[in-house]
Amino acid sequence: MKPMIRIHDIETNEVIDREMTDAEFADYEADQAAVAAEQQAKADAIAAKELAQEKLAKLGLTTDDLKALGL
Amino acid sequence: MATTTNYAWETPDDTDLVKDGAAAIRTLGSSVDTTTKALNPSTTLGDIEYRSSTANTNTRLGIGTTGQVLTVSGGVPAWATPSSGGMTLISTTTLSGSSVTLSSIPQTYNELQLWVVNFDPSTGAQFRIAPNGGTTATDNVEVNYPGGGSPALNGYQGYMRNTNNFNAGTATNSIIAVFPAYTSTAARKSAYMTMGFLDSDGGNRTAAIFNKLECGQMSSLVLSPSTGTFDGGTAYLYGVK
Repeated sequence: MKPMIRIHDIETNEVIDREMTDAEFADYEADQAAVAAEQQAKADAIAAKELAQEKLAKLGLTTDDLKALGL
Repeated sequence: MATTTNYAWETPDDTDLVKDGAAAIRTLGSSVDTTTKALNPSTTLGDIEYRSSTANTNTRLGIGTTGQVLTVSGGVPAWATPSSGGMTLISTTTLSGSSVTLSSIPQTYNELQLWVVNFDPSTGAQFRIAPNGGTTATDNVEVNYPGGGSPALNGYQGYMRNTNNFNAGTATNSIIAVFPAYTSTAARKSAYMTMGFLDSDGGNRTAAIFNKLECGQMSSLVLSPSTGTFDGGTAYLYGVK
């Protein structure tokens, strides 16, 4: 079963709930893949930042130290 | 013949004969009936009356339509649609499914305002508004608090959105989006939206997103969570003159 969508025709005030068409579903799946990729990239960036901070901490450095060095 | 002071209704003289009393009462009653009807010509629910140019005769004014206001035209009262300054509720829609399309948007206002109350996504998700269902490029600038004020460009699609996910199961999120000059056929136009919400990390957040939309004349708005479905929320679309 494809996802449901709602269409509210404001001129007639008619509300229709229906499944996505094949074309709409194809667009939806492509969009969902893009959303997932974006979310993964975001999570990866956060993880990379945390890892870098851990490495700095092991060296006894902080981000403020890097800023002081102009980095 | 004696008459009353204000409406000049005929009344019997002191010297009239008693046998003529029935006719006199009938004449007086008829005069009262005629005057009353002239002063109160209402026939229909919502009617009001105003004084006409004829003494003791009012003019009936039928009720206007929803959104009209009482104004003056040609020196008399009249119902009319406000030409400026009015804000009219166009539609109310319960959010459901993977997306909600508001179609056949009337082209008779200067600006659209979309209020979304109690938006609740089924899973952590952004909130999107796509004029005409567009997917072409647009430039957004987003300011978030907390989280810094650095602008974030997320302009690879033709819809407005925020970059931080709304929390699922939280029905206290609100969004207001404004679309000036939405009837313009110009390809690019400005719009913005503000929101207050609980993000998926559990923090209260506010955001403002400024857009350069690529949508042309707007006849529909497609609302959707970036993923999952609507678990709740109501969209109110207003037209502003």
